[in-house]
This record gives sequence, structure tokens and C-alpha cells, in this order.
Amino acid sequence: MTARPPKAAALALASFASLAALGGGGCMHFEAFDEPIQLQTHVSDWRDEVIYQILVDRFADGDDGNNYNLDLTANARYHGGDWKGIEDNLDYLEELGVTTLWISPVVKNVETDANFDGYHGYWAQDFTETNPHFGDIIALRSLVDAAHERDMKIIIDIVTNHVGQAFFYDINNNGVPDILIQGDGSNGKSEVKHVTEYDPDFDSRGIQAFTSLGEAGPAPIIFQYDPASNHIPPYPEIFSKAITYNRKGRTFNFDIPDQLLHGDFPGGLKDIDTTRCDVKREFVDVYARWIELTDADGYRIDTIKHVEYEFWRYFTQRLRQRLAKSGKKNFLMFGEAFDGNDALVGSFTRKDFYNHWTPDKLESAEALARDAECGGDGPPLTGDMLDSVFYFPQHYQAFGDVIRNGAGSQKLADLWASRTTNYGNEPIEGGIGIAPTKAQINFIDNHDVARFLFWLQNEPDAVKYPLLHNALFLLLTMDGIPCIYYGTEQDFDGGNDPSNRENLWSTDFDTSGTTFRLTQRLIRLRRAYQALRKGDTRVVWATENTGAESDAGIFAWERFGGDAGENYALMIMNNNRTNPASPEYMGARMQLAVAPGTVLVDVLSADKTQYTVEGDGGLGIVLPPITRALLIPAGAVVDGL
Amino acid sequence: MSASAEDAPETGAAPPPPSTAPASEGPEPAAAEVKVDVSASTDAAPPVETEKTIDRKVGPQDPNTPPGYAQGFHFGSYGRVVAGGDATGRPMRNADIVAFGSRLDESTYAELEVRREDYWEATDSYTRMVMTLAMANPVFHYTGNFDATMAIRNLYIEAADIGLKGLRVWMGSRMYRGDDIYVLNFWPLDNLNTVGGGLGYYFGRTAIKLHAGLNQPHSGWFKQTIDRPLLNNQLGSAEVALLDRQKVISSLKVEHVVPVGQSGGVKGTAYGELHYTGAGQREVRDQIYEDLPADKGFVAGGQVSAFTGKRSTYATLVARYARGLAAYGEFNAPVQLALDRTSKGAHELLVSLAGNYEAGPFGVMLGSYYRIFRNASPALDYRDLNEGILLLRPQIWLGKRRFAGIALEGSYQAQQRGSTSIADDGTTTPLFAQVGRFGIIPFLTPGGQGAFTRPHFQLIYLLTARDAAARSLYAVDDVYARRGIDHFIGMTAEWWFGSTSYFRD
Repeated sequence: MTARPPKAAALALASFASLAALGGGGCMHFEAFDEPIQLQTHVSDWRDEVIYQILVDRFADGDDGNNYNLDLTANARYHGGDWKGIEDNLDYLEELGVTTLWISPVVKNVETDANFDGYHGYWAQDFTETNPHFGDIIALRSLVDAAHERDMKIIIDIVTNHVGQAFFYDINNNGVPDILIQGDGSNGKSEVKHVTEYDPDFDSRGIQAFTSLGEAGPAPIIFQYDPASNHIPPYPEIFSKAITYNRKGRTFNFDIPDQLLHGDFPGGLKDIDTTRCDVKREFVDVYARWIELTDADGYRIDTIKHVEYEFWRYFTQRLRQRLAKSGKKNFLMFGEAFDGNDALVGSFTRKDFYNHWTPDKLESAEALARDAECGGDGPPLTGDMLDSVFYFPQHYQAFGDVIRNGAGSQKLADLWASRTTNYGNEPIEGGIGIAPTKAQINFIDNHDVARFLFWLQNEPDAVKYPLLHNALFLLLTMDGIPCIYYGTEQDFDGGNDPSNRENLWSTDFDTSGTTFRLTQRLIRLRRAYQALRKGDTRVVWATENTGAESDAGIFAWERFGGDAGENYALMIMNNNRTNPASPEYMGARMQLAVAPGTVLVDVLSADKTQYTVEGDGGLGIVLPPITRALLIPAGAVVDGL
Repeated sequence: MSASAEDAPETGAAPPPPSTAPASEGPEPAAAEVKVDVSASTDAAPPVETEKTIDRKVGPQDPNTPPGYAQGFHFGSYGRVVAGGDATGRPMRNADIVAFGSRLDESTYAELEVRREDYWEATDSYTRMVMTLAMANPVFHYTGNFDATMAIRNLYIEAADIGLKGLRVWMGSRMYRGDDIYVLNFWPLDNLNTVGGGLGYYFGRTAIKLHAGLNQPHSGWFKQTIDRPLLNNQLGSAEVALLDRQKVISSLKVEHVVPVGQSGGVKGTAYGELHYTGAGQREVRDQIYEDLPADKGFVAGGQVSAFTGKRSTYATLVARYARGLAAYGEFNAPVQLALDRTSKGAHELLVSLAGNYEAGPFGVMLGSYYRIFRNASPALDYRDLNEGILLLRPQIWLGKRRFAGIALEGSYQAQQRGSTSIADDGTTTPLFAQVGRFGIIPFLTPGGQGAFTRPHFQLIYLLTARDAAARSLYAVDDVYARRGIDHFIGMTAEWWFGSTSYFRD
């Protein structure tokens, strides 16, 4: 028999070629993998932005590949949201109108501690790696790129005050973590004390070892090593050394500066000694690197009041300088001082070496000496710190007291009046180019406080939703940079952490709700009218009245001038739950800056109601209970919004 | 015609899950994750023909020829027993990073096969009942534990020529597979382990095989039992299988042999599988339920084998594409799913080339493949991979009767993962791991020369070199994470004889 070419073999080979074509995805295409990344400045004026705060684990699950140990039935466990989920839902965010996404921390965390997970991101374990629950560096970069393609920006949340539950204090020197009961309470002389070596109470001397014979000097600290829960010594290396930490135990009185600055954050989060030069430099390195890897546009910084001013001077100035060299300018850094004290909150934006914790309110000589020592690696350090802060006092006083609880609106006027005293009046050098007094991060609520609607659960719909809408109205028309907590647009009403961290995907990303639509509209108006973004503020009516008086519930303010030039807007809201109200009382009337005869149009009203400024500069307007009006000069009204 | 040594070999026993495994399964790196070491393999020599008639005589005595049908009880076996370790005295351990690498450091495994074969004069047909008991490492003499890891790898009965010459019918639990790549211990085209049944029809040089079976991988994705209270005011509880779904796998295989020359030929194979599992529901927390949708997948593939018919010289090219549920392999539960909680979008593409050539006292074996796997989750991640290996084993038989020989084995394997690492200078690089291996294997072969002649008594030295990326596939403090170079020194006894698992059609 003579060998012949087998037809079957030829057919089979052709089939193989077809199969190979089917596997065309063979090469690994790492989208957004573009080396080296070119940093760019994507923001011209941060007041043009509307920030949307996202708790990544709760926004959208876009990738089952990173789902690990989820428990969707418990709010304190991982739920599966990730960066891909955000990227997949940018349409939703774009439809809402927000322009900047603040995402929760991206670094690798302690996985779980005492049956609570690090889903929120504030328990750093490795400052150099991504949290694999949310994706890898490619996924993060892809999100940033996708956002930039839509002219949206990304702000990353960071922590410098502490790491996760990294070590325990071996108080009894037995080498293992204990939860101890000391004393038996006998005859009232032997006090019963409950001590956990993971999180002992603050001791200004440093946590002391203790045996039955008494104190035995500083307690050794032992770093945990449990890879399954990612309790392993923090990284970079410097964070795995005992000397890097203050080692004084858990803060229990936040009014004592030593505890506030040097105590562990409740929950066993170990406080870093942020006065050390090596720590300052390491944090600049690790956090500059995240921007260099992603081209993100800003940092939201956690727990700033627990960190010394000197750290913020070094960190912010060196970080700005390093990023600017690579092309990243207008890099926004704003901090969270979870406090109602306006002077304290504002202090982090001042450049006059103010120190809230010293008797004379001036920076200590020791801190200034460390400025000189640590700052020897570059240009001399100035007093510059953060570009902005969360306006926590306003959260309490305006959104809480005035709008939600019906307090007199004079409280808000007084708070605003103190801005120039408590906050920096000049832009930070190399910062965003806007004075901190005009760049405060305004917010109704966030992941650390109960949602606005939580406190109104027992109120009828006709009260609680209009009040939320008044809050949104204030948020999106006032001076500063508005920040919306995810889910606000969906009427989420969760209580305190973690109940306020609902899964947004439970709403199916519905865009038809009343609150969604109102938020969307207010954002459009803010973008359309420059006065709402950049105008100076002048309060034209505020009141102490809260009862049946004609102006009870009214708050009115104009915005014009400043960077808005001749553009003008007048906002009036009535927070009175039962009575109509107007900006006049006992013969006194609101006095506007625009000329008599000017026709103002309420662009929020369905019929575009018009009002004419009267000869005395007043306006004959009466607002029904829990309503609002946004008045624009007739000639400046933009149609179609 | 009696079934010959060159009948289509369906060899080995491994269920090689070719995709992924949950991280919780252990510290092994990717390559190890996808291997279930219960495998064996033998002669990959291709068939000369598939025209089947039954040898009614007692089977030949040569243990390297397949068993024929013969009345009575019969016994067959595959086995390898391995002793060895690394240069520091640690026990032997598979050092491949790809799913299917060198078999030189595979661990101990054996099968004992018992058959009952009968001729039924009333119907002029034959039956064969096969029971295969398999045992995996460790053995008693290694641990002192009076225990064994065992599995029933075959338990089925087959009837031949029943009603129609060339027709075969089987039912039961069966290893059901095609040709392997011996040096990689790998069945690239088809390797199924199910409980079910099948039909085969052999006519001329063509065979058509149809099969359908079930399995239920040991995974919470297929089965979940939960405690529930008893009714009728009884105390206590009972276990309830809330989720209890099976995987249905069906396959179709068509083979045709074209003779070439006096003894050679070309075999072409077209092959397909369908996988399906129904919808179910499981409890994610007490009385909180999650729906799992139905899922499905398929395999399409083919094989071309060219053979001389002399001294097991052949070359085989395989291409195989799997999608959906099938991409994860028969015994794996899909992980890293699509957003609809199915395996939609997962896929695997495999191309392999293997062969053997012998001339005079020399021979060389080839095993190679390239494989792409993507799980169903949309983004690239660590468990998405491209990998491949090229392995050559030249050997020489020594002495007049060629009772001994020396083999050399060299391989290069590489694996790219769908993840990246960031260097200190900020550059981001894909994870690309490489391993090179080189072995020297002097052996005794009582059966004489031949790559697939067994038994073998082997001494093995195997050097493994892995780069930094390969070391990064292992956990911190794993010696493979620490070592760039490893030495395996050991001895292996390997045999096969009289087993339908290795000489089967």
C-alpha cells in the first residue's frame, strides 16, 4: 500500500486552526497597563466638582473573581463591591451628575478582627499593596482612567494615624494575648479591672507590664502573625518596628491632647508616632507612589486631628512638591477631623503655625525643631497644611440642628461668619489655588455618622423627604465643595456604622426616584450657574425664631461677586415643618444686593415663578413648609434645566 | 484479528481538573492547585486500527499487550512506587508550575484491576465486568499508619457484539478517556470520570462513541446539607440536602484511521462534550438563601495522530476548546463567576503536541502543550493564566538484550498569570514565571527496549531551576519560594500489565 495524504488529517488541521482562533483572547491584555503612567492635572477649579463618596465594598460587585469570604447578611463583613463595579456603573454616576468619586481606602487591610472585617479599608496592613477584595492595581488604574475619560476625578481615602490591629501589649509577659481580669472587688479595696492586651486603656507613660507583684516597666509589644486573617506585621518595614508606634494604649478621653494624639484608635488600631522623620518620609513615599501608579486626583485623609500638625506640614508640602514635579497639580488634600469644634477643624487649613493643643495656641518649639530636622531634605517647611477639611461643624449645626431639628437658622449664619477666623484665608502654596474658607468639603452625612433620614424615621414622608431635599438644596448651593454620601440619592436611612453602609446594588441603580431626580437637578443647576459654585456668600436672612413667627424656619443667602463676577443667585429655604414663612419679621425685611426692579426667577419651581425686587430691596416671597427657592435674575436663566 | 498492542490506548486514571481551585485548598502554587495526583499513565502509542473483533483465546502472556476477552476472572495493574527527596532530605514533591509537567516527581499510585469476562453463546456476545481499586500515597511503610487512601476508579460492565457486531454497550462508573501524553501524565483531549453509560460502534476503521454520565464534585456549589427541625413535635434535627445538584456530562467521539504504508496510519478524532447542571438554592446564613442558576458548557476538540506502527513511533496533535462550565474541568466547581453567578465566559484553549521516536538503541519522547485559561469573572486576575511546557526525553537502551538504559529529560515550562507586580521603581510587570528542569534517569527494563515497555526500575536525579516569579507562586517560607535551585534524588518502580485501563477501546 502506498502512503497517501490523508484528507481527514487536513480537515482536522483546519479545525485546529479554527479552534485556535476561538481562543483569540490568548494574549493577556492588561487594560490600562501603560508604562510609565503620565501624571496629569485634571482639575482646574475644585469648586466646579461635586464629590460622591463611595464605600467600595458596598457600591457594586463587578468582579466575582475577587469575592472572598463574603457575608452579605452582616453589615460588618465583606459584601463584594469592587473597583470594577464602580467602573461598570459610571453611567449611573454620570446621570446623577457627580463629577468626583471619593473611594474608600485602597491598601491591603487586616482581613478580619474580632469578627469584624476590614471592608471599610481603615485597617491598613500593607501600605504598598491593593486590597485584593477590590481588585489589583490594573483594576484601580482602569477605574481612574475610565473616570478621566468622562471628565470625572478620583479621590482616594488614606490613613496615616494608625494601622490595623497589628500587635498586642504583653502586659503579663506570658507571650500570648490575654483578656485579663484584675482585682476581685473585695471590701471595696481591690478594684476589678477588665484589661485586654489587644486594646488596653491609655497610659501616658506607655502601657506598663503588670504582675501580681506590681508594675514591671513598659509592656513588650508582640506583632501578631496570623496570615489567614492577615494579622501580620505591617509593611513597609518601618511599620513592623515597635519604635514606630506610640504604644500608649487606647484613647478613652478625646479631650486630653496626649490621648488624642498618641493613643490607639478604639478598636485596637495602633497609633503611629507621626513626629518621627522616618515615618513622615515613608508616608510621603507610599502615598506619592499610589498617585504615581494611578494618576488619581486627590486624597481624603482620615483622622487628621489625631495626628500632630508638624506631620501635616511635612506630608502635604513634600507630597505636593513631588507630585508637581511629575505633572500633577491642583492635587486636593482634605482631611477628616471628626469634631464639632470649628476652631479645631479649621486649624488644619491655617498656615500661621496655630496649634490647638498648646496653651498659647502656637506651635511648640520642639515641633518647630523637628520641622527643621525633618524638612532638611527639601525646601524649608512653611505653615501650609491641608487644602480643605470636612465641614463637620456644619454637619452638626446646619444639617442636624437647623434643618433636621428645626433650630433657628441664625446658628448657621453665625457658623459661616466664623469661617474667616477659624479657617485659612489664603490658598495653600502649591495647593488647589483656593482659600480654605471657600473650599470646605460640605456634607450632609457620611460613613461615620447615621444617615440624615435615620433620625427622621418616625416622621411622615411629607416631612422627612422634604427635609432631606432642603438639606440637598443647601449642600449644592452653598460655598465650598459639595460631597454626597452614596445612597443619599436613594433615600437610604441607615443608622450608625455599620448600618449606614448599605449595598447600593439593592436599588438596582434606579434613577427614577424623587430624591435622585432632585439631586440630579440641583447638580445641573450648580453647574449651570457660576454664582452657585464661585460666588461669595452673603446671608440675607437668618432667624432665631422656631415657632409660629413669620420667618421661623427661613434661611436665605445670596451668592455673587468673588470669582463669579456679576453672576447672582439667591437661595431661600423654609425648614418650618408646619408653617409657611417669609424672610421678614416684625417689619424688618430681607435686603438684597440686586437693584430694585430686578426680576428673579425661581428656577426650581415648576412654573418658573417670578419675583420682582421691591423698592426697599426686599422680596415678597412666602415659602410653604419645608420648601425652597433658587432665584436667578431673569436675564440669566438657563433654559432646559 | 486480535486486539494488538497498538490498539487505541485509553490510558491512565487522572481526573485532571484543568482550571482553578479555591485558595483555601492549600499552599501549593497554581500548578499544584490544578493537579489531583491520583494519576497513572502508560503507553501512549497510537492505534493501528479500530476494527474490533474479539479474541476468544486466552490472552497473550506478554504483559505489554492488551488483554483480550476471555472467560473467567482476570487481573491487571498499573503502579508506581516512588522513594526520594531533595538534597536536604525533605520528602519528594512535585515542582512543576504548570498544570501538567514532568511525571518524574509524581508520587506513589497504584491500581488493581479485577475483571470477569464471559462469552454468551445464546446471543454470541461478550460481557466484561471491571472493578479497579486505586491507592494513592502515602503507603504504610512510609508512615506506619495502618491506613490507605483508596478509590474505586472503575466499576462497570460492558457488553460487546450484542445484537450487532461491533456494538458495545456499557454502564457503570468508569474512567472514560483517550490518548495520553505519558511524559506529562496528561490526557489532553478527553478524560472523563462519571457514573453513567455509553455506546460504541466500531465499523471498518471508524468508531463512534457516545456517552452520558453524572458526577457531583465535592463542593458547596453542588451540594449543601443543613440541619432542620423534625416535624410532628419530634425532638432533634435531621440533615436536609438543600442544594443537591449533579453535573451531567455527555460526550461524542468519532475516530477514523487511514492506513499508511504497511503498518502505519493516521488517526483523526473529532470530539465534543456538553456539561450541564440545574438551578439550585443554598443557604448562605441561617435561613438566608441564595439562588444558583443553571449552568452549562461545552468542549470541542480534535486530534490527529500519525504513527508508523513500529516501535511505538508516533506523533499526536491535539486542539481543544472548552467554554463555560466545561472550562473548569469535570471535577471542579466553577469559581470566580460571571455577574449572573454562572460560569458564562470562562474558557480554556489547549493545543498539545506529543510523540515518540525509536531507532536502534535510541529513542526520544516529546510532550508539550500550550494552554490558556480564563475564569468567568470579567477582569484578569491571578487565576487567569497562559502556560506551556516543552519536554524532551531522549533515551538509550544498553546491552545486547537491552535490559538497561539511560534517559535524559529536559523541560522548559512557563506561566503567565493575570496579575502584576510592582517593582520598587514603580514599574508594573505581568507575573511571568519560568522553570527549567533537567533529569538523568538510569533504568532497568526486564521487558527490553521500548519507551512504553514496563516494568521499569528507575533511579532519578532531577534538577529544577525556578526564577523569581516562579518562586513568588509559593507562599512565604515555602522552600520553593526560597530556592532557585532544587535537586530531586529518588527511585521509582513502575509497571503495567493486563489492565483494561491502559489497553482499552
